Amino acid sequence: MKRTKTSTLFLLTCFIIFLFAACLAPAGAASLRILHVNDFHGFAESHKLLGSDNLRGGVAYLASLTETLRKERPSLLISAGDMIQGNTWANLFEGKSVIEVMNAMRFDAMVVGNHEFDFGKAVLTERIREADFPILGANVTGLDTLKPYIVKEVDGIRVGIIGVVTEETPTATHPRNVEGLTFMPVAATVERCIAELKGRADIIVVLSHLGYNADMALASAVKGIDVIVGGHSHTKAVKHITVGNTVIVQAWEHGLVLGVLDLTVESGRVIAAEGRLAEVVPAKMRKDEKVAAIVEKWAVKVNESMGMVVAEAKVDLDGENVRLRETNLGNFIADILMKESGADAAIINGGGLRTSIKKGPVTVGSVYSVLPFNNYIVGIRLTGRQIRDALEYGLSGVELKEGRFPQVAGLTVTYSPERQAGKRVGTIHIAGEPIDPSRRYIVATVDFLAAGGDGYQVFREAIRQSPDFEILGGTIKSGNIVYNDAGRWVRDAVVSEMARLKKLAPAVEGRINVQGTGDEGARK
Amino acid sequence: MCKVQAMKVLVNDREVHLAPGMTVRHALIGAGILGDVETGKKVFDEWGNETGLDGALSENARIYVREERSP
Repeated sequence: MKRTKTSTLFLLTCFIIFLFAACLAPAGAASLRILHVNDFHGFAESHKLLGSDNLRGGVAYLASLTETLRKERPSLLISAGDMIQGNTWANLFEGKSVIEVMNAMRFDAMVVGNHEFDFGKAVLTERIREADFPILGANVTGLDTLKPYIVKEVDGIRVGIIGVVTEETPTATHPRNVEGLTFMPVAATVERCIAELKGRADIIVVLSHLGYNADMALASAVKGIDVIVGGHSHTKAVKHITVGNTVIVQAWEHGLVLGVLDLTVESGRVIAAEGRLAEVVPAKMRKDEKVAAIVEKWAVKVNESMGMVVAEAKVDLDGENVRLRETNLGNFIADILMKESGADAAIINGGGLRTSIKKGPVTVGSVYSVLPFNNYIVGIRLTGRQIRDALEYGLSGVELKEGRFPQVAGLTVTYSPERQAGKRVGTIHIAGEPIDPSRRYIVATVDFLAAGGDGYQVFREAIRQSPDFEILGGTIKSGNIVYNDAGRWVRDAVVSEMARLKKLAPAVEGRINVQGTGDEGARK
Repeated sequence: MCKVQAMKVLVNDREVHLAPGMTVRHALIGAGILGDVETGKKVFDEWGNETGLDGALSENARIYVREERSP
């Protein structure tokens, strides 16, 4: 009797285990883990987030976490783009440091993001050659080193990975960076690739640098996509979502999290999905020593670069009085913006210049201290009337040393600080001629002001009034935005120009003149 | 030929116009509330996901700046 009872209990236990196992892994089912990052932007070192004192991220910790999760089940490690540009640790080496880290982490594939084009085609081609993994861009024509898709077999599952990047890439980088390239419509491209992969892949993963909303639209528009691993919008999607039959994930930014998507695949179909984000918290993790050594190696080079002398200042470069009056440093930087963008004039906010540079050797680090913000150059069409409004606004807070005080190039202006704010500006000349209120001029500024920063409404209004932008052959053909190089910081343009000039002796030239002091209109 | 427009987005339900390529950061500058993020508030998309300041935006995107809610 006792033996019968034991046998029954044993059989019952086996049955329960069988049922449990059957639920977990259906017959013929296989599991696949997709580990993913996006929008890393060269943030290799741990850093503090705004409003927090705790260190987060750090690619050596990310690498260690990746290895741990990789060991648990068959995995792919992929990136949804914007890896090589953004942080000084990457920018100073045009992304080479990032590719070395990605090779060490054994990435399986990556799609180009819009910022991968910021150093130009030749540099991108070099980075692609250095990568031990394929770099995808199915909707980009004109760059043969980009592959449209790959098929990776993982534990018997053939995974077709198609890479696509935003069609708007040419609007946000210098035209020369995308010259000869065409960014084709995404949905049609993905449909074509899926058709080509028919019979060659069990599941289709789209590696997308389009943004979260665009990923949802793509999932709705195109049948046959099993998974979209996204980037571009820096979305912290803590769980996966499903649109139709397509699973969509995205893993925030800067290597602060690792995306983990566990899939169960049966007969070429994803029958279960579970997406989550694993946080990268240095205080609670160990680092990958091999990757840490690479990070440190390039960090040392960053320090060396910061100490590198690029030019010699023959005079002190005044960054102290930039909120109060025209200074030689303000003139020098405004001149560079005007020259780079081919504008008629330039207006920047004095508050964007944070310190002075003493007479003598000028290092890269000293330029970075003057210009610590990640600002880039924008060229906007403004009428003469709008330029007057911009200058009125910029000069309206001089008594309080407001950061909006303008530093200018290509124009001269007289003003009376004693008069009521908004009625201070007297004469304005551009290229020696009195300004024409109705004529449209191209004015260079920084993206911060173009967005309305420091209260400059004029630039923002010009953007609002802008007609369609037409991008033909990588060049903006119409609209009020005529120059928009989001991938190159102003400070890097300044370093380049200083290195070209070698000797620096900018002067105060009477560009901004106080009426009644006898110098108004002195130089036209 | 690619044709794009100045982008309209909504920040806390207020309309802001941006040039192509501008990001969440620019939208907050335009709305005059970038400082809120620097003092600890966070940015969320219309689906409730937190987004980074350098995140790309699309036409008619809605973002909200607020304190992070407890899960």
